[in-house]
Parts: sequence; C-alpha cells; structure tokens
Amino acid sequence: MTILKDVLGELFAMFVADVRITTAILAIIAVTAILMDLAGVSALVAGGFLLAGCLLTVIVGVLGAAR
Amino acid sequence: MTEWSTAVPAVSAAFLASSVEVVEAFTIILVVAVLRGWRPALLGTAAALALLAAIVVILGPLLGYVPLSLLQLVIGVMLLLFGIGWLRKASLRAAGVIPLHDENAIFAKESAQLSEEAKRNKTSLDWIAGIAAFKAVLLEGLEVVFIVIAVGAGRGLLWPASLGAAAACALVLVAGGIAHRPLSRVPENTLKFAVAVMLSAFGVFWTGEGLGIDWPGHDLALPVFAALFLAVGLLAATLVRRRTEGTAT
Repeated sequence: MTILKDVLGELFAMFVADVRITTAILAIIAVTAILMDLAGVSALVAGGFLLAGCLLTVIVGVLGAAR
Repeated sequence: MTEWSTAVPAVSAAFLASSVEVVEAFTIILVVAVLRGWRPALLGTAAALALLAAIVVILGPLLGYVPLSLLQLVIGVMLLLFGIGWLRKASLRAAGVIPLHDENAIFAKESAQLSEEAKRNKTSLDWIAGIAAFKAVLLEGLEVVFIVIAVGAGRGLLWPASLGAAAACALVLVAGGIAHRPLSRVPENTLKFAVAVMLSAFGVFWTGEGLGIDWPGHDLALPVFAALFLAVGLLAATLVRRRTEGTAT
C-alpha cells in the first residue's frame, strides 16, 4: 500500500508541482482554445498567446517562489 | 520518414532526462548494494524494470487508438505541466534559492534510513533492501517512461526515444559500476535545465498542434521555442539572484 501511495504521490507531483503554475498553464490553454474556436482569432495569434503565456508563467513562477 | 528537426530534440530529451533519473535511482541501488549486497539490489531493480516494461507494453499499443490531434493535445498539456515545473525548479536551483541535488548527501541519508529500518526489522533485511531498490527504480522509471512516451508518441518516434533512454541507462550504470560510488559529479541541474527547456518547447508545440495551430516553419519552430524557454529560464534565475544579492548587501 505504501508503494502504491508513493507511486500515486509521485505521479501527482509530476504534474502539480505548484498549484498556481498548474492553474495558470491550464487557464492559458483554455483561453487559447476559446480564442480560436469562439472568438475567431487566427491560429497564429492564438499560438503566440499560448507561447507568450507559458514563457510569462515561467518568469512569474520563479520570481514568486523566490519571494 | 523521420524528421530530424523533431527526432534530434526527442532523442536528446529522452537521453538527458533518463540520465538524470537513472543517476538518482543508482544512488539508492548503491545504498542497498553496499549495505545488503548486490542480490537484493539487483532483484529489486529487475522487478521494477519488469513492471515498467509491462506498463509500456500494455499502454503503448493503446496509444495507436487515440486520434492524433487528441493525443498531441493531452501529451502537450502534460508536457507543459511537467516541463515548466522542472524549469521553475531548475531556475530556482541555478539562482541558489533551492539547494542543488547532492547525491553524496542522499546516499548518506538513505544509508542511515535503511540501517535504522533494518535494526527495527531484523528478520527481513534483504526484503526491505530489495523493496527500497524496487521503489527507487519504479518512481524514477515512471518519469522516464512518461518522457519517452511524451516526446516520442506525437510523431511516431517511440523507438528512437526509447533507444535514447536505454543508452542513458547503460551509460550511467556502466559509469556507476566502475566508480562504485554515487555519481555526484554529474551536473544534474544543468541537465535538468536542458531537459525542462526541451519538454516545455515540446509542450507548447504539441498543445498548439492539438488545438489546430499550424506553427510557422513546422518542426523548425521547436528549436526556436527551446531557445525562448532557455532565455526566459536563465533571465528568471538572474533576476532572482540579483534580488537576493541586493537584499543581502
């Protein structure tokens, strides 16, 4: 049971190392999809938003954690 | 036909990520081998490798039934969560906020823990040691399996990525077997930084493709994304280091 618990914990930690970063990334992806499908924004602009959002998440995540 | 602009980053990411994970697992295997001999260490390792192989053999063929765009989207999202998490940690380590991974310290800590456990449970020392090796290989191996599938599945590169991972395992085990001590001189954070950059770049690429974005330059967009993530990771580490130095003076 301990091994199973450790494996599940490891899998969870792999993708949710920091709840705020995970939430931010999922929100950026959701907004990208909405921009493309509902707002009719061109795929290239939506792609730029996705990339810029992820890059910004790295900076904000590192600066926030160091505070 | 294999696109080299995708294959090279995929194989490199699998190789580097596996190197880091195998170095960490090797430290625990060595603790077990030094304290209880190679038999429980190798049995625990072999059992974990068999379980990992079973996971790959069972899950691998199922991936073929998932529509490509859905597969790219799911893997892309997972890569972003995993890659950006690693990049954040590697930047914080590079800035000196989080201490670097010290294999010698981990070796000492795990040795003490296993000795303590053995004192409390004298009847099954080999069993406890074998389980410790099994857990270490399984937990680190799961990350390797995920990375291999994630960087390989989107473009039919599972075999090249697997070979990259296998080469890293062989290299680390041979080096560890010769050195017969924790591989503390491996620049783990630099490797993790490089892997995180590549995984984040793959994450944006696959997520975009899964959503229907046709990236300019197609596969050549990958190295551009990687360069941007590298620049941002280094910039974040520099900003934090400057702020820390400014506070200290």
